[in-house]
Amino acid sequence: MYTELNSILNTTPDSFTQGEFILVSDRQSDASFLMHHFLSFYLRARCKVCFLGLVQSFSHYNAVGQRLGVSLVQAKEKGQLIFFEGLKESLSVLISQESNTKSQAIDFLRDPSVGLRSLYEFVRCTVSSSSGGGEKGADGAEEWGPPVLLVDDLSVLLSLGVTVGTVLDFSHYCRATVCSQLQGNMVMLTRCDGEEEADDGDDEGSERLHRGLTHQCSLTLHVQGLPTGYCRDIHGQVEVCWRRRQGDGQHTQKKLFQYKVHDKGASFFARGTSSAVL
Amino acid sequence: MLQGTDVGGFLIIQDSATYSGRHLLNSFINAALNREESVHVLGFEISEEELKDGLKRSPIQRLHFHNAFIDPLGWTDHPIFTVHQFSLEELVRLVKQTSHPKPATLVIDSLSWILRHISPPAVCKTLQQLKKEGAVRAVIGLLHADMHQKGTVGSVCHLATSVITVAPGVKGDAAVAKITKRSKSGKVMQDEEIFSIKEDLTVIVQSKPNHTGPKQTDSEEQEIDPTANLTFNLRLSETERSAKDKLALPFVFSKEKKTALLHSGPGSGRILYEPDANDDYDQEDPDDDLDV
Repeated sequence: MYTELNSILNTTPDSFTQGEFILVSDRQSDASFLMHHFLSFYLRARCKVCFLGLVQSFSHYNAVGQRLGVSLVQAKEKGQLIFFEGLKESLSVLISQESNTKSQAIDFLRDPSVGLRSLYEFVRCTVSSSSGGGEKGADGAEEWGPPVLLVDDLSVLLSLGVTVGTVLDFSHYCRATVCSQLQGNMVMLTRCDGEEEADDGDDEGSERLHRGLTHQCSLTLHVQGLPTGYCRDIHGQVEVCWRRRQGDGQHTQKKLFQYKVHDKGASFFARGTSSAVL
Repeated sequence: MLQGTDVGGFLIIQDSATYSGRHLLNSFINAALNREESVHVLGFEISEEELKDGLKRSPIQRLHFHNAFIDPLGWTDHPIFTVHQFSLEELVRLVKQTSHPKPATLVIDSLSWILRHISPPAVCKTLQQLKKEGAVRAVIGLLHADMHQKGTVGSVCHLATSVITVAPGVKGDAAVAKITKRSKSGKVMQDEEIFSIKEDLTVIVQSKPNHTGPKQTDSEEQEIDPTANLTFNLRLSETERSAKDKLALPFVFSKEKKTALLHSGPGSGRILYEPDANDDYDQEDPDDDLDV
C-alpha cells in the first residue's frame, strides 16, 4: 500500500468510496505495482477480496504482499481473500486429470465461444457469499467489509481467444453485481499494446477493450513510460482521471504524476519535481 | 439550445472515451422532466441509483427506469429486460405500461450496448419503426462512437434528426459540441458550440464557433504585460536621466579629443627637413628625377 497514492486518490483503508470501478491500464510500461497496491489496500481495509490472478502465481503476489506488509496466506486462511489462480486452474483444465472435481470457472479455455459466464458465476458466488455470511458465523469467523474484485489482468483473456465484446460483458456483469448491487469495489488491469492513435477502424483488440472499459469505469489510472525515454530515477508517469463525479460539478478531472517504484513502496510526485532533478 | 426536441425526433449524443456524454444526456432528461413530460429510460450502462443520483434536483415522479443494467443477457434467472428484447413491440409495451395522456420520451443509455449484441441493420430497423409508430414523442440515445466501426456509427446517425458530438474543451469543464440538425424539409444545419453544464443540469453555451476560439486565447495572451513582474527597473527618474545625458560615452569623438589629437604638445614627434646639396630639386619640374 502506497500512502502517497492514497493521498492522491483521497482514500484511506478506513474510509474509501464504495461502488467504484477503478481501471488500471498501462502502455509500454508495467502497471502491476498498482495492482499490488490495491490488493494490500483492500486487505487492510478489511474487505472481502476476490482476486482473479490470471498472469502470476499466488506465491508471486504473496512475496510482493509481504514486502508491502500484508500476508496473503493468512488472509486466505481467515477467509478474507479468495484467490483464483488462473495458471493452475488452466493447467488442470487443459490436462484434464480427474475431471469434474475442479470448478467450471475457466471452461472457456476449451471453447472460447462459451463466453465468460461461468467465470462470472464464480465471482458472483464468491462475493455474494461474503455478504450473506456477514452476520457472524457460528465458528467465530470474522466479519468482512464490502466485497472487492481484483482482476490481473483482463487483456490476457483476449490472447486466450475471448472476444472484446465478451470481456466487456463480463466486466459489465461484474460491475452490476459488485459495484451496484453489493456496493463493493472493483479494480481491473488491462494492457494496451502498440502506439496511441495508431489503430484503424477495425481494431479488434486491446485498444477497443481499453476504450470500452473506460466508458464503464469511474476512475482510471493509466501508466505510461516517460515520453522522453528511459530514466533511472523516474520510472514513468501515471495519469489519474476521475469520471462521473456528478455530486460535485466537475465530472472529469485529470492529473498527471510521475512515479518511482522502490523496493518497498513507490513515490509519486508532480512532473519535474523528482529528487533527481531538483 | 436543443432543449425542446421536436415530436418524432431522434437525437443521438455521440461521445468518446475522453469525454462522457452522459452528463449532457442527464440535462436532456432533466429538461424533459421539467417540461412535465414522462421519460422512459432504458438503462444498459447505468444503474437506477446512479441515474437518480445524477438527477437529484429534478422532479423524478415521471421518470420510469427500465432496468437492463443488472442482467442484459439473461445470465441470471430473472432478467428484467434483456438486450434481445430490443424490438418495437417490447419497447411499445414498456412505454405503454404506465398510462399517460402525453406520449413519452424514450432515452436509451446506451445504443452502444445494443449495437454490440444485435446486428446494426436490426437496430436501425427498430429505431426507424419506433420513429414512425408515434408511440414515443422523441428518442434520445447515447452512442460511444469509438466503440464501433465508422460505418455502423454512420448508419445509425443517418436515422437521427439531430446528432450532437461532444469532445473535451480546451480549458476547464467546458466541452465542445458539434451539432448536426436535419429539418423536415431536408435542410441540414451544422454548428459548433462550446458549452458547460452547471450543477442543476442547465446547459450554458459559452461561445459560438470554434474559429474564434483560438483567436480569443491569442488576444488574452497579448494582454499580459511582459514588464509587469521584473526584478529590475525599466524606467528612469528625472535626476537619473540628466546624469545619464551628461555621461560622455568612451568612443564618441568630441571637440576636446579632436584638438588634443591635432595640436600635440611639445616634445612629440615633428619632421624637420634640411635640403642636401646633392638634392637636385628643380622647382620647375618636381618629377625630374623620375625616369619618365
